[in-house]
Amino acid sequence: MVKNQSISLKNLSVKYPGSTAPQLKQMTAQADSGQIIGIVGNSRSGKTTLCQVLSGVIPTIISAKVSGTYTLNGHSPVDDWPAYNQLTGVVLQNPAGQLSGLADTVADEIAFDLINQGIQEAVITKRVNQAAMQMGLTAQLTQHPESLSGGQLQRLAIASAIATDPQILILDDPTSEMDPVGRQQFFNWLAGVKATTFIVSNEIDDLCEIADLIWVLQDGHLVAQGTPHQVFNHLSANWQLPAPTSFQLAQKMNWRLPTSDFPVNFQELREAIHATN
Amino acid sequence: MPQIELTQLQYTYPQQSFRLAIHHQVLSDSLIALVGQNGAGKSTIFKLLTGLLTADSGSIKINHQELSDLTPKQRLKLIGITFQNPDDQLFNATAQKEVEWSLSQVMANKQQITLKAKAALAKVGLEQQAGENPYDLSLSERKRLTVATVLAVDPLVYLFDEPLMSLDWYSKQMMTKIFHQLAASGHQIITITHDMDWAAAEFESLSVMANGHFKFSGTPKAFFSNRSLIQEVGLLPPKIMTIAEKLGDSRPYLSVEDYYRQHSK
Repeated sequence: MVKNQSISLKNLSVKYPGSTAPQLKQMTAQADSGQIIGIVGNSRSGKTTLCQVLSGVIPTIISAKVSGTYTLNGHSPVDDWPAYNQLTGVVLQNPAGQLSGLADTVADEIAFDLINQGIQEAVITKRVNQAAMQMGLTAQLTQHPESLSGGQLQRLAIASAIATDPQILILDDPTSEMDPVGRQQFFNWLAGVKATTFIVSNEIDDLCEIADLIWVLQDGHLVAQGTPHQVFNHLSANWQLPAPTSFQLAQKMNWRLPTSDFPVNFQELREAIHATN
Repeated sequence: MPQIELTQLQYTYPQQSFRLAIHHQVLSDSLIALVGQNGAGKSTIFKLLTGLLTADSGSIKINHQELSDLTPKQRLKLIGITFQNPDDQLFNATAQKEVEWSLSQVMANKQQITLKAKAALAKVGLEQQAGENPYDLSLSERKRLTVATVLAVDPLVYLFDEPLMSLDWYSKQMMTKIFHQLAASGHQIITITHDMDWAAAEFESLSVMANGHFKFSGTPKAFFSNRSLIQEVGLLPPKIMTIAEKLGDSRPYLSVEDYYRQHSK
C-alpha cells in the first residue's frame, strides 16, 4: 500500500498544439507522500507546464497533448478526475487570475471551494479562519479581494488552496510578490506543512532549508533530481542556477563537510565549520 | 546626473486610510533601490512620478522642471517605467510591435523605430523572439520585454517596479548588467525590489519607505548596520548577514564577497 501513496511520473511529455517541440520531454521521477519537492530551472525549462499538468489544468483547461503516465497518491487525472481534483490545492503563477471573481470579501473567496463542496457552514467558518490565520490575512477577512496588494493576493490564493485541506499542494512561484518578511513567514509555514508539496521557486536558499527533493528542469528535461545537498554539490553551469548562499560562503572560505562536499543550508554550514576548524 | 525632488507631497487613496506624505526628499544617486514592506507606498511614488496618479498637493521636480508643466511626450522622454506585472502593459501582437508602439509615442520615423526596436530587443536577449506573441513568451521573457520597451525610448530616468520578480537567474544577471550600464551612461535608475541580497550587493543607495513616508536614504552599508531601523520598517537584512548573525557575528555584510574580504584581511 505504501507504494500506492507515492508520487510517480513515467515518461511524461507535454506538447502544446501548434508548437514544434514538446514543453516537457520524457520526464520520469518519484517522490514520497509528505515530501516537499522544490522545482527549479531557467525560464522556458518547463516548470510552469509541469505545475499545470500536476494540477490537471493541462489538459482540462489548457489543451495540450500529454503522453506518459503520472499518479499522485495512487490517483490519475485520466482515470478519475473528480477524485484527483479533490486531492490537490493549487496556486498558479498569477494569483489575481485565479480568484473566483464572485466573492465580495477575502473570507468568501477562501470559502469558495468549501461552499462548492457542500460543507457545513460552521466547518467552513472554522476552516476559513484557520487558513486566514496561517497566511496572516485575519485582518483582511472583510476586505474586498481587489483591495489587496500583490503579496497579499498570493497569500489569499494559498489560503484558498489550503482551506480544503488538500493532500497535495502545487505552488508555482507563490512568493514572487511577497515582501521579505512575508516570504520568510511563508517558508517557515511551509516547513511544517504535512501535505506533499510541489513548489516552483527561485528562492534557492529557502528551498535548500526546507525541501526534501530538488528537481532541476532544463529545456523540458528533468536533468537532476535528489536532495538539495546532492543536487547543488553537482551544480552544472548549463542549468544557469545560483548556488545557495551557504554553499557560496563555504566555497569562498573553504569550509567543507567531512565528505569534502560543501554545505547547502545553515545546519550543514555549521557542520562544515565544525569539521574545518 | 538627473535629480528628482519631492516637496510637501501628499496623496490619499480613495476610500482607504493609507496616506502618502513626504515632507522633502531628493533622489540624486544614479542607482537607487526603493525598498519597504508591501503597502509602504513604493508603487504610489512611481505612479505619481509618471503622472498615473495626481497628488493632492505638493511638488515633483525632475531636473528642476515641475512634472505637471511637462507635455506627455516630454514626460515620456524624461521618465520611463516598467510595471510589476508585465501583463498590465503588453498588448501588441508581437514583441517587436510592442517595442515599436512605445517608440511611436515619442518619434515618427518608421525606419528608425524598427531599427531601435530591434536593438532594444537584442539588449534584453529577445532578438530571436521578435516575431512571437508576448503571451507565448515565458514570464521572465515578458518582464525582459517590458524593459526593452523603455530601453528603446531611452529616457533620462528609469523606474522599474520589481524588475526581478519571477525572473530566473540568467535574466537577473542580465538585468543587473543593463542597470549598471545605464547608470554608467548618465541615467538614473530607481528600482523597487523585495530582494535584499540584490539591493545590498548591487546598489549605490537605498531609499526605504514605511507607511507612506521615507524613513532612510543612504548607502546599503549604513542601512544594514542599523538593526533597529531594519526591524522598524519591517525588512530583513541580506541572507549573508542572517547567516553571519547565526554564527555569532553581527557586523553588516553586503554579499558573500564582502564577508570574504573582511575575513581574509
